[in-house]
Amino acid sequence: MAEQQRPRRRGQGELEALVLSALRDADGPATAGWVQERLGGDLAYTTVITILTRLLAKGAVTRERVGRSFAWTSASDHAGLAAHKMRKVLDSESDREAVLASFVTGLGPDDERLLRELLGQHRSERED
Amino acid sequence: MGVFVFLPLVLPLTAWPIARLAEQHLHPRTATRLLTAVAAVMAVCSTVCLGLVMVVGTAQLPGNPLPDGWSDPEVREAVPYDEIVGKAAIPALCVVLVACGRTLWRHARVRRRAHRALAGLRPTEVAVLPDGAPYAYALPGGRRDRVVVTTALLQCLEPAERRALFAHERAHLAARHHRFLLAVQLAARANPFLRPLRTAVAYTAERWADEEAAQVVGSRRTVACAIGKTALVSRGTPVVTLAGFAAAGPVPRRVAALLGPAPAARRWPSVFTTVGLAVWAAAAGTAVSAMSSANSAVTMVLILYAATPL
Repeated sequence: MAEQQRPRRRGQGELEALVLSALRDADGPATAGWVQERLGGDLAYTTVITILTRLLAKGAVTRERVGRSFAWTSASDHAGLAAHKMRKVLDSESDREAVLASFVTGLGPDDERLLRELLGQHRSERED
Repeated sequence: MGVFVFLPLVLPLTAWPIARLAEQHLHPRTATRLLTAVAAVMAVCSTVCLGLVMVVGTAQLPGNPLPDGWSDPEVREAVPYDEIVGKAAIPALCVVLVACGRTLWRHARVRRRAHRALAGLRPTEVAVLPDGAPYAYALPGGRRDRVVVTTALLQCLEPAERRALFAHERAHLAARHHRFLLAVQLAARANPFLRPLRTAVAYTAERWADEEAAQVVGSRRTVACAIGKTALVSRGTPVVTLAGFAAAGPVPRRVAALLGPAPAARRWPSVFTTVGLAVWAAAAGTAVSAMSSANSAVTMVLILYAATPL
Protein backbone atom coordinates (compact mmCIF):
# COMPACT_ATOMS: atom_id res chain seq x y z
CA MET A 1 0.00 0.00 0.00
CA ALA A 2 2.84 2.29 0.85
CA GLU A 3 4.04 1.82 -2.73
CA GLN A 4 0.79 3.26 -4.07
CA GLN A 5 1.08 6.34 -1.89
CA ARG A 6 4.18 7.37 -3.76
CA PRO A 7 3.15 7.68 -7.42
CA ARG A 8 6.59 7.90 -9.05
CA ARG A 9 10.18 8.69 -8.34
CA ARG A 10 10.67 12.42 -8.42
CA GLY A 11 13.41 13.89 -10.57
CA GLN A 12 16.42 15.63 -9.10
CA GLY A 13 15.26 19.05 -10.35
CA GLU A 14 11.86 18.62 -8.75
CA LEU A 15 13.34 17.76 -5.36
CA GLU A 16 15.69 20.74 -5.50
CA ALA A 17 12.73 22.99 -6.28
CA LEU A 18 10.76 21.53 -3.35
CA VAL A 19 13.59 22.02 -0.87
CA LEU A 20 14.28 25.52 -2.15
CA SER A 21 10.65 26.61 -1.81
CA ALA A 22 10.48 25.13 1.70
CA LEU A 23 13.55 27.13 2.63
CA ARG A 24 12.08 30.29 1.14
CA ASP A 25 8.99 29.86 3.32
CA ALA A 26 11.12 29.84 6.45
CA ASP A 27 11.52 33.02 8.51
CA GLY A 28 15.29 33.31 8.51
CA PRO A 29 17.81 30.46 8.54
CA ALA A 30 16.43 26.93 8.95
CA THR A 31 17.99 23.58 9.78
CA ALA A 32 17.86 20.51 7.53
CA GLY A 33 15.57 18.85 10.10
CA TRP A 34 13.11 21.73 9.80
CA VAL A 35 13.14 21.42 6.01
CA GLN A 36 12.53 17.69 6.24
CA GLU A 37 9.57 18.23 8.58
CA ARG A 38 8.22 20.97 6.35
CA LEU A 39 8.23 18.61 3.36
CA GLY A 40 6.01 16.15 5.18
CA GLY A 41 8.76 13.77 6.23
CA ASP A 42 8.62 11.56 3.11
CA LEU A 43 12.24 12.43 2.31
CA ALA A 44 15.11 10.89 4.25
CA TYR A 45 17.20 13.31 6.31
CA THR A 46 20.30 12.37 4.32
CA THR A 47 18.45 13.10 1.07
CA VAL A 48 17.58 16.58 2.31
CA ILE A 49 21.24 17.14 3.27
CA THR A 50 22.38 15.93 -0.18
CA ILE A 51 19.98 18.25 -1.97
CA LEU A 52 20.95 21.21 0.23
CA THR A 53 24.62 20.56 -0.50
CA ARG A 54 23.87 20.43 -4.21
CA LEU A 55 21.97 23.71 -3.99
CA LEU A 56 24.93 25.20 -2.14
CA ALA A 57 27.24 24.25 -5.01
CA LYS A 58 24.86 25.99 -7.40
CA GLY A 59 24.86 29.15 -5.29
CA ALA A 60 21.13 28.86 -4.63
CA VAL A 61 21.49 28.59 -0.82
CA THR A 62 23.99 29.71 1.83
CA ARG A 63 24.71 28.14 5.19
CA GLU A 64 26.22 29.14 8.51
CA ARG A 65 27.34 26.98 11.38
CA VAL A 66 25.02 27.08 14.38
CA GLY A 67 26.25 24.87 17.19
CA ARG A 68 26.90 21.40 15.78
CA SER A 69 24.80 21.72 12.64
CA PHE A 70 24.23 24.17 9.80
CA ALA A 71 21.48 26.72 9.35
CA TRP A 72 20.48 27.16 5.71
CA THR A 73 19.15 30.26 3.95
CA SER A 74 17.90 30.50 0.39
CA ALA A 75 20.02 32.83 -1.71
CA SER A 76 18.10 32.80 -4.97
CA ASP A 77 14.64 31.95 -6.20
CA HIS A 78 13.53 29.22 -8.60
CA ALA A 79 14.24 31.35 -11.62
CA GLY A 80 17.80 31.98 -10.47
CA LEU A 81 18.36 28.28 -9.92
CA ALA A 82 16.87 27.45 -13.32
CA ALA A 83 19.12 30.07 -14.95
CA HIS A 84 22.17 28.53 -13.32
CA LYS A 85 21.24 25.02 -14.46
CA MET A 86 20.42 26.18 -17.98
CA ARG A 87 23.79 27.87 -18.29
CA LYS A 88 25.43 24.62 -17.29
CA VAL A 89 23.49 22.70 -19.94
CA LEU A 90 24.39 25.25 -22.62
CA ASP A 91 28.05 25.36 -21.62
CA SER A 92 28.48 21.60 -21.56
CA GLU A 93 26.67 20.71 -24.78
CA SER A 94 28.74 21.50 -27.82
CA ASP A 95 26.09 20.58 -30.37
CA ARG A 96 23.06 21.99 -28.71
CA GLU A 97 22.38 23.81 -31.98
CA ALA A 98 20.64 20.75 -33.38
CA VAL A 99 18.01 20.85 -30.66
CA LEU A 100 17.81 24.41 -29.49
CA ALA A 101 17.55 26.71 -32.46
CA SER A 102 19.38 29.77 -31.15
CA PHE A 103 17.95 33.19 -31.96
CA VAL A 104 21.32 34.32 -33.29
CA THR A 105 24.57 32.52 -33.91
CA GLY A 106 28.04 33.97 -33.39
CA LEU A 107 29.35 36.69 -35.64
CA GLY A 108 32.29 36.26 -38.00
CA PRO A 109 35.22 38.72 -38.20
CA ASP A 110 33.56 41.11 -40.66
CA ASP A 111 30.01 40.44 -39.58
CA GLU A 112 29.90 43.03 -36.85
CA ARG A 113 30.89 45.86 -39.17
CA LEU A 114 28.45 44.64 -41.82
CA LEU A 115 25.66 44.39 -39.27
CA ARG A 116 26.27 47.90 -37.94
CA GLU A 117 26.26 49.19 -41.51
CA LEU A 118 22.96 47.49 -42.27
CA LEU A 119 21.30 48.73 -39.09
CA GLY A 120 22.77 52.22 -39.47
CA GLN A 121 21.49 52.40 -43.02
CA HIS A 122 18.03 51.39 -41.82
CA ARG A 123 18.09 54.01 -39.06
CA SER A 124 19.03 56.84 -41.42
CA GLU A 125 16.32 55.72 -43.86
CA ARG A 126 13.75 55.91 -41.11
CA GLU A 127 14.82 59.40 -40.17
CA ASP A 128 14.39 60.68 -43.74
CA MET B 1 26.09 -2.21 -63.06
CA GLY B 2 29.81 -1.56 -62.76
CA VAL B 3 30.91 1.55 -60.91
CA PHE B 4 27.32 2.80 -60.89
CA VAL B 5 26.74 0.98 -57.63
CA PHE B 6 28.94 3.54 -55.92
CA LEU B 7 26.87 6.46 -57.22
CA PRO B 8 24.77 6.91 -54.05
CA LEU B 9 27.96 7.53 -52.11
CA VAL B 10 29.16 10.45 -54.24
CA LEU B 11 25.96 11.85 -55.75
CA PRO B 12 25.22 13.97 -52.63
CA LEU B 13 27.91 16.28 -54.04
CA THR B 14 25.41 17.31 -56.73
CA ALA B 15 23.08 18.75 -54.09
CA TRP B 16 25.46 21.62 -53.33
CA PRO B 17 24.29 23.97 -56.13
CA ILE B 18 20.63 23.49 -55.26
CA ALA B 19 21.44 24.19 -51.61
CA ARG B 20 23.08 27.48 -52.54
CA LEU B 21 20.34 28.54 -54.94
CA ALA B 22 17.41 27.42 -52.79
CA GLU B 23 18.87 29.30 -49.82
CA GLN B 24 19.00 32.53 -51.81
CA HIS B 25 16.00 32.42 -54.07
CA LEU B 26 13.23 30.23 -52.71
CA HIS B 27 10.86 31.06 -49.88
CA PRO B 28 12.60 29.82 -46.71
CA ARG B 29 9.73 27.44 -45.92
CA THR B 30 9.93 25.78 -49.35
CA ALA B 31 13.73 25.72 -49.19
CA THR B 32 13.79 24.08 -45.73
CA ARG B 33 11.35 21.35 -46.74
CA LEU B 34 12.98 20.73 -50.12
CA LEU B 35 16.55 20.55 -48.82
CA THR B 36 15.59 18.36 -45.87
CA ALA B 37 13.80 15.93 -48.18
CA VAL B 38 16.75 15.83 -50.59
CA ALA B 39 19.18 15.26 -47.72
CA ALA B 40 17.04 12.49 -46.23
CA VAL B 41 16.62 10.60 -49.53
CA MET B 42 20.32 10.83 -50.36
CA ALA B 43 21.39 9.80 -46.87
CA VAL B 44 19.13 6.74 -46.87
CA CYS B 45 20.32 5.69 -50.35
CA SER B 46 23.95 6.21 -49.37
CA THR B 47 23.58 4.10 -46.23
CA VAL B 48 21.67 1.33 -48.03
CA CYS B 49 24.36 1.28 -50.72
CA LEU B 50 27.10 1.08 -48.12
CA GLY B 51 25.31 -1.82 -46.43
CA LEU B 52 24.86 -3.71 -49.69
CA VAL B 53 28.47 -3.21 -50.78
CA MET B 54 29.53 -4.55 -47.41
CA VAL B 55 27.29 -7.60 -47.80
CA VAL B 56 28.55 -8.41 -51.29
CA GLY B 57 32.16 -7.78 -50.38
CA THR B 58 32.09 -10.00 -47.33
CA ALA B 59 29.82 -12.79 -48.60
CA GLN B 60 32.78 -14.78 -49.96
CA LEU B 61 34.81 -14.58 -46.77
CA PRO B 62 34.91 -17.99 -45.07
CA GLY B 63 32.75 -18.40 -41.99
CA ASN B 64 30.32 -15.57 -42.71
CA PRO B 65 26.67 -16.10 -41.81
CA LEU B 66 25.34 -14.74 -45.13
CA PRO B 67 23.54 -16.93 -47.73
CA ASP B 68 25.94 -18.76 -50.09
CA GLY B 69 24.10 -17.39 -53.12
CA TRP B 70 25.36 -13.91 -52.29
CA SER B 71 28.90 -14.87 -53.18
CA ASP B 72 27.89 -16.08 -56.69
CA PRO B 73 30.04 -14.69 -59.51
CA GLU B 74 27.05 -12.78 -60.97
CA VAL B 75 26.54 -10.92 -57.72
CA ARG B 76 30.22 -10.17 -57.30
CA GLU B 77 30.38 -8.93 -60.87
CA ALA B 78 27.87 -6.24 -59.92
CA VAL B 79 30.32 -4.68 -57.50
CA PRO B 80 33.76 -3.83 -58.93
CA TYR B 81 36.71 -4.46 -56.60
CA ASP B 82 34.27 -6.23 -54.30
CA GLU B 83 36.88 -7.57 -51.90
CA ILE B 84 38.61 -4.27 -51.11
CA VAL B 85 35.46 -2.18 -51.21
CA GLY B 86 33.51 -4.69 -49.17
CA LYS B 87 36.06 -4.73 -46.39
CA ALA B 88 36.37 -0.95 -46.44
CA ALA B 89 32.60 -0.69 -46.20
CA ILE B 90 32.51 -2.50 -42.83
CA PRO B 91 34.23 0.24 -40.79
CA ALA B 92 32.49 2.94 -42.83
CA LEU B 93 29.09 1.51 -41.99
CA CYS B 94 30.04 1.16 -38.33
CA VAL B 95 31.14 4.81 -38.24
CA VAL B 96 27.84 5.90 -39.79
CA LEU B 97 25.74 3.88 -37.36
CA VAL B 98 27.70 5.02 -34.30
CA ALA B 99 27.66 8.68 -35.40
CA CYS B 100 23.90 8.61 -36.04
CA GLY B 101 23.25 6.86 -32.74
CA ARG B 102 25.31 9.42 -30.89
CA THR B 103 23.52 12.30 -32.58
CA LEU B 104 20.13 10.91 -31.56
CA TRP B 105 21.31 10.26 -28.02
CA ARG B 106 22.73 13.75 -27.63
CA HIS B 107 19.59 15.29 -29.04
CA ALA B 108 17.53 13.49 -26.39
CA ARG B 109 20.03 14.40 -23.68
CA VAL B 110 20.07 18.14 -24.42
CA ARG B 111 16.29 18.24 -24.42
CA ARG B 112 15.99 16.22 -21.23
CA ARG B 113 18.59 18.27 -19.37
CA ALA B 114 17.15 21.59 -20.51
CA HIS B 115 13.65 20.57 -19.41
CA ARG B 116 15.03 19.39 -16.10
CA ALA B 117 16.75 22.75 -15.58
CA LEU B 118 13.38 24.46 -15.92
CA ALA B 119 11.53 21.92 -13.75
CA GLY B 120 11.21 24.20 -10.73
CA LEU B 121 9.59 27.06 -12.65
CA ARG B 122 5.89 27.60 -13.14
CA PRO B 123 4.78 25.81 -16.36
CA THR B 124 4.37 28.94 -18.45
CA GLU B 125 5.10 28.99 -22.17
CA VAL B 126 7.84 31.59 -21.80
CA ALA B 127 10.53 30.98 -19.19
CA VAL B 128 12.39 34.19 -18.29
CA LEU B 129 15.71 33.44 -16.58
CA PRO B 130 17.60 36.05 -14.54
CA ASP B 131 20.97 35.73 -16.24
CA GLY B 132 23.61 38.21 -17.35
CA ALA B 133 24.24 36.35 -20.60
CA PRO B 134 21.86 37.36 -23.39
CA TYR B 135 20.39 34.34 -25.14
CA ALA B 136 17.07 32.95 -26.32
CA TYR B 137 16.13 29.42 -27.29
CA ALA B 138 13.11 27.49 -28.43
CA LEU B 139 12.96 24.31 -26.38
CA PRO B 140 10.76 21.69 -28.05
CA GLY B 141 8.96 19.16 -25.89
CA GLY B 142 5.51 18.27 -27.25
CA ARG B 143 2.98 19.82 -24.87
CA ARG B 144 5.84 21.24 -22.81
CA ASP B 145 7.12 23.48 -25.62
CA ARG B 146 8.88 26.45 -24.06
CA VAL B 147 10.62 29.63 -25.06
CA VAL B 148 13.66 30.32 -22.89
CA VAL B 149 14.91 33.89 -22.73
CA THR B 150 17.16 35.74 -20.32
CA THR B 151 16.54 39.08 -18.63
CA ALA B 152 19.81 40.40 -20.10
CA LEU B 153 18.45 39.93 -23.63
CA LEU B 154 14.99 41.34 -22.87
CA GLN B 155 16.55 44.47 -21.34
CA CYS B 156 18.30 45.47 -24.53
CA LEU B 157 15.23 45.07 -26.76
CA GLU B 158 12.31 47.45 -27.18
CA PRO B 159 8.75 46.13 -26.67
CA ALA B 160 8.10 45.59 -30.38
CA GLU B 161 11.43 43.81 -30.76
CA ARG B 162 10.59 41.55 -27.83
CA ARG B 163 7.36 40.62 -29.56
CA ALA B 164 9.42 39.83 -32.67
CA LEU B 165 11.76 37.63 -30.63
CA PHE B 166 8.88 35.68 -29.07
CA ALA B 167 7.14 35.33 -32.45
CA HIS B 168 10.39 33.99 -33.93
CA GLU B 169 10.82 31.35 -31.22
CA ARG B 170 7.15 30.39 -31.34
CA ALA B 171 7.46 29.91 -35.10
CA HIS B 172 10.33 27.45 -34.49
CA LEU B 173 8.14 25.47 -32.10
CA ALA B 174 4.94 25.62 -34.14
CA ALA B 175 6.64 24.40 -37.33
CA ARG B 176 8.68 21.76 -35.41
CA HIS B 177 11.95 23.07 -36.84
CA HIS B 178 14.01 20.84 -34.56
CA ARG B 179 12.86 17.84 -36.62
CA PHE B 180 14.26 19.34 -39.81
CA LEU B 181 17.50 20.19 -38.04
CA LEU B 182 17.80 16.67 -36.60
CA ALA B 183 17.06 15.08 -39.98
CA VAL B 184 19.77 17.03 -41.78
CA GLN B 185 22.20 16.43 -38.96
CA LEU B 186 21.67 12.68 -39.22
CA ALA B 187 22.04 12.95 -43.00
CA ALA B 188 25.34 14.80 -42.60
CA ARG B 189 26.54 12.01 -40.29
CA ALA B 190 25.50 9.34 -42.82
CA ASN B 191 27.38 11.00 -45.66
CA PRO B 192 29.83 13.88 -45.07
CA PHE B 193 29.10 15.22 -48.56
CA LEU B 194 25.68 16.26 -47.20
CA ARG B 195 27.17 18.71 -44.69
CA PRO B 196 26.50 21.82 -46.81
CA LEU B 197 22.83 20.86 -46.77
CA ARG B 198 22.88 20.87 -42.99
CA THR B 199 24.34 24.39 -42.94
CA ALA B 200 21.82 25.50 -45.55
CA VAL B 201 18.84 24.10 -43.64
CA ALA B 202 20.04 25.63 -40.35
CA TYR B 203 20.02 28.99 -42.15
CA THR B 204 16.70 28.58 -43.98
CA ALA B 205 14.95 27.43 -40.79
CA GLU B 206 16.04 30.66 -39.08
CA ARG B 207 14.90 32.66 -42.10
CA TRP B 208 11.56 30.81 -42.03
CA ALA B 209 11.05 31.80 -38.38
CA ASP B 210 12.14 35.38 -39.21
CA GLU B 211 9.52 35.63 -41.94
CA GLU B 212 6.80 34.22 -39.66
CA ALA B 213 7.79 36.70 -36.96
CA ALA B 214 7.68 39.55 -39.49
CA GLN B 215 4.11 38.58 -40.37
CA VAL B 216 3.07 38.41 -36.72
CA VAL B 217 4.51 41.79 -35.70
CA GLY B 218 3.68 43.32 -39.07
CA SER B 219 7.11 44.86 -39.61
CA ARG B 220 10.12 43.29 -41.26
CA ARG B 221 12.34 46.07 -39.93
CA THR B 222 11.44 45.38 -36.31
CA VAL B 223 12.52 41.76 -36.72
CA ALA B 224 15.72 42.86 -38.45
CA CYS B 225 16.49 45.26 -35.58
CA ALA B 226 15.79 42.59 -32.96
CA ILE B 227 18.19 40.16 -34.66
CA GLY B 228 20.85 42.80 -35.19
CA LYS B 229 20.76 44.06 -31.61
CA THR B 230 20.76 40.56 -30.17
CA ALA B 231 23.73 39.56 -32.28
CA LEU B 232 25.67 42.67 -31.26
CA VAL B 233 25.10 42.21 -27.52
CA SER B 234 25.83 38.47 -27.57
CA ARG B 235 28.88 38.60 -29.80
CA GLY B 236 30.99 36.91 -27.12
CA THR B 237 31.16 33.68 -29.12
CA PRO B 238 32.90 34.46 -32.39
CA VAL B 239 32.66 31.93 -35.19
CA VAL B 240 35.99 30.45 -36.14
CA THR B 241 36.52 31.07 -39.85
CA LEU B 242 39.44 31.71 -42.09
CA ALA B 243 39.46 35.50 -42.16
CA GLY B 244 40.56 35.64 -45.79
CA PHE B 245 37.61 33.60 -46.97
CA ALA B 246 35.06 34.92 -44.54
CA ALA B 247 31.85 35.49 -46.44
CA ALA B 248 29.06 37.35 -44.68
CA GLY B 249 27.86 35.17 -41.81
CA PRO B 250 24.26 34.02 -41.38
CA VAL B 251 23.22 36.89 -39.10
CA PRO B 252 24.00 39.80 -41.48
CA ARG B 253 22.45 37.82 -44.33
CA ARG B 254 19.25 37.37 -42.34
CA VAL B 255 19.14 41.07 -41.46
CA ALA B 256 19.80 42.05 -45.08
CA ALA B 257 17.05 39.68 -46.26
CA LEU B 258 14.58 41.22 -43.82
CA LEU B 259 15.48 44.74 -44.86
CA GLY B 260 14.78 43.73 -48.47
CA PRO B 261 11.39 42.80 -49.94
CA ALA B 262 9.39 39.82 -48.65
CA PRO B 263 10.04 36.56 -50.52
CA ALA B 264 7.24 35.35 -52.78
CA ALA B 265 5.39 32.54 -51.03
CA ARG B 266 4.87 29.15 -52.67
CA ARG B 267 6.10 30.20 -56.10
CA TRP B 268 9.20 29.03 -57.89
CA PRO B 269 10.98 31.60 -60.05
CA SER B 270 10.03 31.49 -63.73
CA VAL B 271 12.22 29.37 -66.02
CA PHE B 272 12.68 32.36 -68.31
CA THR B 273 14.90 34.32 -65.92
CA THR B 274 18.57 33.57 -65.27
CA VAL B 275 17.88 32.74 -61.64
CA GLY B 276 14.85 30.62 -62.55
CA LEU B 277 16.83 28.70 -65.14
CA ALA B 278 19.59 28.01 -62.63
CA VAL B 279 17.15 26.93 -59.90
CA TRP B 280 15.21 24.66 -62.21
CA ALA B 281 18.37 23.14 -63.71
CA ALA B 282 19.78 22.51 -60.24
CA ALA B 283 16.45 21.07 -59.05
CA ALA B 284 16.27 18.77 -62.08
CA GLY B 285 19.90 17.71 -61.55
CA THR B 286 19.26 16.97 -57.90
CA ALA B 287 16.10 15.01 -58.73
CA VAL B 288 17.95 12.95 -61.36
CA SER B 289 20.79 12.36 -58.95
CA ALA B 290 18.45 11.33 -56.12
CA MET B 291 16.65 8.99 -58.53
CA SER B 292 19.82 7.35 -59.82
CA SER B 293 20.93 7.04 -56.24
CA ALA B 294 17.69 5.24 -55.38
CA ASN B 295 17.93 3.23 -58.62
CA SER B 296 21.40 1.92 -57.73
CA ALA B 297 20.27 0.95 -54.26
CA VAL B 298 17.14 -0.83 -55.55
CA THR B 299 19.12 -2.67 -58.27
CA MET B 300 21.55 -4.00 -55.68
CA VAL B 301 18.66 -5.21 -53.53
CA LEU B 302 17.13 -6.96 -56.57
CA ILE B 303 20.41 -8.69 -57.51
CA LEU B 304 20.82 -9.98 -53.98
CA TYR B 305 17.18 -11.03 -53.85
CA ALA B 306 17.56 -13.02 -57.09
CA ALA B 307 20.65 -14.75 -55.70
CA THR B 308 19.02 -15.67 -52.39
CA PRO B 309 18.16 -19.39 -52.25
CA LEU B 310 14.53 -19.79 -51.21
